Amino acid sequence: MRALLRRLGVYLLAAWVALTVSFLLPRVVPGNPVAGAVARASQSGNCNSQCVEAIEAQLGFNVHTSLWDQYVQYWGNLGHGNLGQSWSENASVSSLIISYLPWTLGLLLIATAVSFIAGTAVGVLMAWRRGSWLDWVLPVATFFSALPYFFLALVLVLILGKTGTMLKVFPSLFGYDIYGVTPGLNGPYIASIIGHAILPAVTVVLASTAGFILAMRNNMITTMDEDFVLVAQAKGLPAKWVIWYAARNALLPVVANFTVAISLVVAGQILVEIVFNYPGIGFHLYDALGKLDYSLVQGIFVVITLVVLAANLLADVVYVLIDPRARQMA
Amino acid sequence: MTINSTSLTVIPPVAGPTPELVLRRTRILRLPRSPKVIAGLVILVLFGLLAIIGRWIAPYSPNATDQQHWVQHVLVPGTGAATGFPASYYPLPLPPSAAHWLGTTVFAQDVWSQLLAATQATVVVGLLAAAIATVLSVLFGVTAGYLGGGADEGLSLIANVFLAIPGLPLLIVLADYVPSAGSSVVLVASIIAVTTWAYTSRTLRAQTLSLRNRDFVEASRVMGEGRLRIILVEVLPNLVPIVAASFLFTALSAIGAYVAIAFLGLAGSPTSSPPGLWNWGEMLREGFANNAVRGGWWWWWAPPGLCIALLGTGLALLNFGIDEFINPRLRTAGLSRKTARKAGIGTRPKLGMTPVAHHPPVAVASVRTVAEASRLRDTAEPVLEIRGLSVDYGYDEEAVHAVVDCDLVLRRGQVLGLAGESGSGKTTLALAAIRLLRAPALISAGQVLFHSKPISGDGPAGTIDMLSATDDQLRAIRWSEIAVVLQSSLNALNPVITIGAQFDDLLRVHRPALAESARWARSGALLDMVGMNADRLRSYPHELSGGMRQRAMIAMAIALEPQVMILDEPTTALDVVTQREILQELIGLRDRIGFATLFITHDLSLLVELADEIAVMYAGRLMERAPATSLFHAPRLPYTYALLHCFPPMHGPRVPMEGLKGSPPDMRDLPPGCAFHPRCQWALPRCRQEVPRLAPLNGSPREVACWLHREGTTVPPELAQPEPASMRPRRPETVGQAGGT
Ligand SMILES: Nc1ncnc2c1ncn2[C@@H]1O[C@H](COP(=O)(O)OP(=O)(O)OP(=O)(O)O)[C@@H](O)[C@H]1O
Ligand code: SF4
Ligand SMILES: [Mg+2]
Repeated sequence: MRALLRRLGVYLLAAWVALTVSFLLPRVVPGNPVAGAVARASQSGNCNSQCVEAIEAQLGFNVHTSLWDQYVQYWGNLGHGNLGQSWSENASVSSLIISYLPWTLGLLLIATAVSFIAGTAVGVLMAWRRGSWLDWVLPVATFFSALPYFFLALVLVLILGKTGTMLKVFPSLFGYDIYGVTPGLNGPYIASIIGHAILPAVTVVLASTAGFILAMRNNMITTMDEDFVLVAQAKGLPAKWVIWYAARNALLPVVANFTVAISLVVAGQILVEIVFNYPGIGFHLYDALGKLDYSLVQGIFVVITLVVLAANLLADVVYVLIDPRARQMA
Repeated sequence: MTINSTSLTVIPPVAGPTPELVLRRTRILRLPRSPKVIAGLVILVLFGLLAIIGRWIAPYSPNATDQQHWVQHVLVPGTGAATGFPASYYPLPLPPSAAHWLGTTVFAQDVWSQLLAATQATVVVGLLAAAIATVLSVLFGVTAGYLGGGADEGLSLIANVFLAIPGLPLLIVLADYVPSAGSSVVLVASIIAVTTWAYTSRTLRAQTLSLRNRDFVEASRVMGEGRLRIILVEVLPNLVPIVAASFLFTALSAIGAYVAIAFLGLAGSPTSSPPGLWNWGEMLREGFANNAVRGGWWWWWAPPGLCIALLGTGLALLNFGIDEFINPRLRTAGLSRKTARKAGIGTRPKLGMTPVAHHPPVAVASVRTVAEASRLRDTAEPVLEIRGLSVDYGYDEEAVHAVVDCDLVLRRGQVLGLAGESGSGKTTLALAAIRLLRAPALISAGQVLFHSKPISGDGPAGTIDMLSATDDQLRAIRWSEIAVVLQSSLNALNPVITIGAQFDDLLRVHRPALAESARWARSGALLDMVGMNADRLRSYPHELSGGMRQRAMIAMAIALEPQVMILDEPTTALDVVTQREILQELIGLRDRIGFATLFITHDLSLLVELADEIAVMYAGRLMERAPATSLFHAPRLPYTYALLHCFPPMHGPRVPMEGLKGSPPDMRDLPPGCAFHPRCQWALPRCRQEVPRLAPLNGSPREVACWLHREGTTVPPELAQPEPASMRPRRPETVGQAGGT
């Protein structure tokens, strides 16, 4: 348990850092660039008076309390789940985020699960069948792992998307058909959600699988050189068992490095949502940035950080479950 | 993108997959010359050049509008009367032409010129961010790893916190509050560096930690060198490959991050004030915002995207080269169909079955009779016959010939010792016999016949040609008839499953009739036989000591009552007392079950107690073979003589040490003639040219490969000692006491 508690401590600290950064940034950045931005934006009509007021209030212009008092108040608000008010949507940030989250989490979970499973499987196969045609997956995967998610999204929209110019098979705008169906528990709505999720999910899967493939292939090749794999072969175990033994061990570093992987996938998905106008947290982050809705931007940042930290904790728990050495320490 | 994985800092480094990264004192980074690395370098150099000279070769200013060619007001596809979207109009971007190689944007700007300007900014920001991040991670990682203790805890905590916070969202928030960042390369790069340094810092810390305890660093510390000096002179040079990998990895992340924030419009627009820089992300943003995809204006948005992917691929390929340098296991390529055909391998090689070249199946019956007829004087019948076996590592001209033309016969119930210096090919020879060698091994010539008479179970009986056996046949023989205890049994057990499970899989495969409870009971009984408590079945390997693991392996090896046991230095990693105990047990088991043993060791004095016959190997060839006592007391080969005099014998009369001059030969570059001649004190001129063959020594049941023992030469007295009076090897009961005399 001790190792896990320590990890939990790291994540709590990380959460505190993220929240504090998000508190301090608007208040201490020199030259008050936000105010400058407000001024520019209100000139060009991008920011109405409500917007200016909201931003000023958030920056603490009219608040004659010390930074510390504001900080205490900030935490008090957080404790009540109060992330502030979004002027552009005229609603509380937390309620807005709660309505965005299912889209993002659904896409993230499905896409990460698919790419993790597919990526590890292909990586194992590549290590197993070295010297076969599968070697060609390596350069292809390298190329895909270097491709920015949003660029891949653009290409997929062009080729497959209904808003593209070529095959026009899958819907490629919004989370569901906003003109054709009514939200609720009805068949057409659900079907529409699934249809609209296909391209974004395919994008995230295509872009993130490559990383898992490469990592798993390398670990697998290294592991297959271990003595215990040689012993498994000397024992006359069927090839599939031998591969399973090796894969089970090769998976450990992949799980241990999940932190990095999940951060990359989340970052990628934010951009994918923007390309598809997919109504998740990433798209609304972009939207809020454009509207200078700073409370919404910060709220979203905080929630994304918390989601990633939770995913990390989950990966740690899984690690402890699959590695007896870590279990002993934990 | 992968850097070789190091695990979570608090959870101990996982076994195996974390490779020993740095082996020697100061290694230079010499990249393998593979197509991957070359392609990567070419791509990087190309972009580097474009970044430098782009400014001068750009035909237009990236912001200039080409009024002359501008065609205005075109309906955006997908809008207008029939579509339900309100009609909207855009200027029409021009497709590629002589005037505009990559066409124009919707603002009639030249895409090629923009791309060149963008290449410069993107590459510079990427490299700068990577440089800053690398400096940060080296500072944090190396200091933490080197200082250890509280400093390590603190620094690692900071790195771990940064690692846990997702980079892009943090970057977005930071860039959002510093809008002027877009116009400052340094500011953008610094912000990106802050969000990307932590990962490599962790890798570096782990590496430094392991370096810290290496001999040479330890030595400098003892000599009183200053900390900073040790870090700079001893530690850092060893980290060069990892730092280089980190640099490439962060450069790739940084370019990805820069492009991403630019795509979000957070890196400053080139047309705003202060102006941001043209970069690939900004180009994509403009394209996306102006419906370039829907409009089918691919020349606008495809080039920057492809540039990102191409540059990323270049960095990743180069990183592959570094990975392969750090971890050579990744380098050995698989055996492709083409190589296999060239090397003369008939069937497609299977995992775990060493391929065999040019092997006509042996007409088993006839060979057997020949073998038996020519060996009339042998009383015990052969169980494993190796004839003319040669093994290469590698499939082409550069292959290492690790075993050349070796003959070896193992007889039922006997112990055959195989001795020789490190690297002489003992393990290769033994494992080749059961086709257990891994790529790039290739059995290039010879025969291996296994005359099977199963002791128990339903394994195959009769003579089996091991080199043309199918994988199913081999699997049936492995362990059930021929078991192996590997040289380093410390890693021979699968770390993530219990000892019990590792007995169980064996019994399940080879004794399918046994019920689960019977398998469990049998496993417990086996552990008991080697002096371990049956409760240990529930333990994981890491919970056992080295000696216990070795015992568990031996218990596993006898589980199926094999006819042949290959023991490859079964006790090297253990202390002397445990060694003795384990040998005792092995001999006891041998007497009980009656398996034949191929016993591999460096230690000739050990063999003389155990073995009936000893074979001595040098540079891949068998050089002398004799009954154990004859070989020990009256060696005929200069090499054997030297071997016997280089270790102080563990027991028996002390002989003055003369030792073995020089070091074992480099197998890739063997001297001509007798490979031992540079180290042989009796070398003849002939030895430099002709390879001596193993031949019977007149009148005795022993063979030697040495020109000294051919007609016309006088044999030095050291090599002509009288044969000892016929002696049976000592029985096991005496082994334990022998040490005391
Ligand atoms: N995978 C490989 N690729 C290339 N060469 C190899 C490989 N494995 C072994 N060799 C070479 O083959 C030779 C024989 O190696 P082998 O492991 O059989 O020696 P050994 O006699 O068992 O030595 P030791 O006593 O150290 O175990 C060595 O010179 C070694 O360098
Ligand atoms: S053949 Fe020549 S070099 Fe080789 S061991 Fe004999 S005497 Fe020495
Ligand atoms: Mg060996």
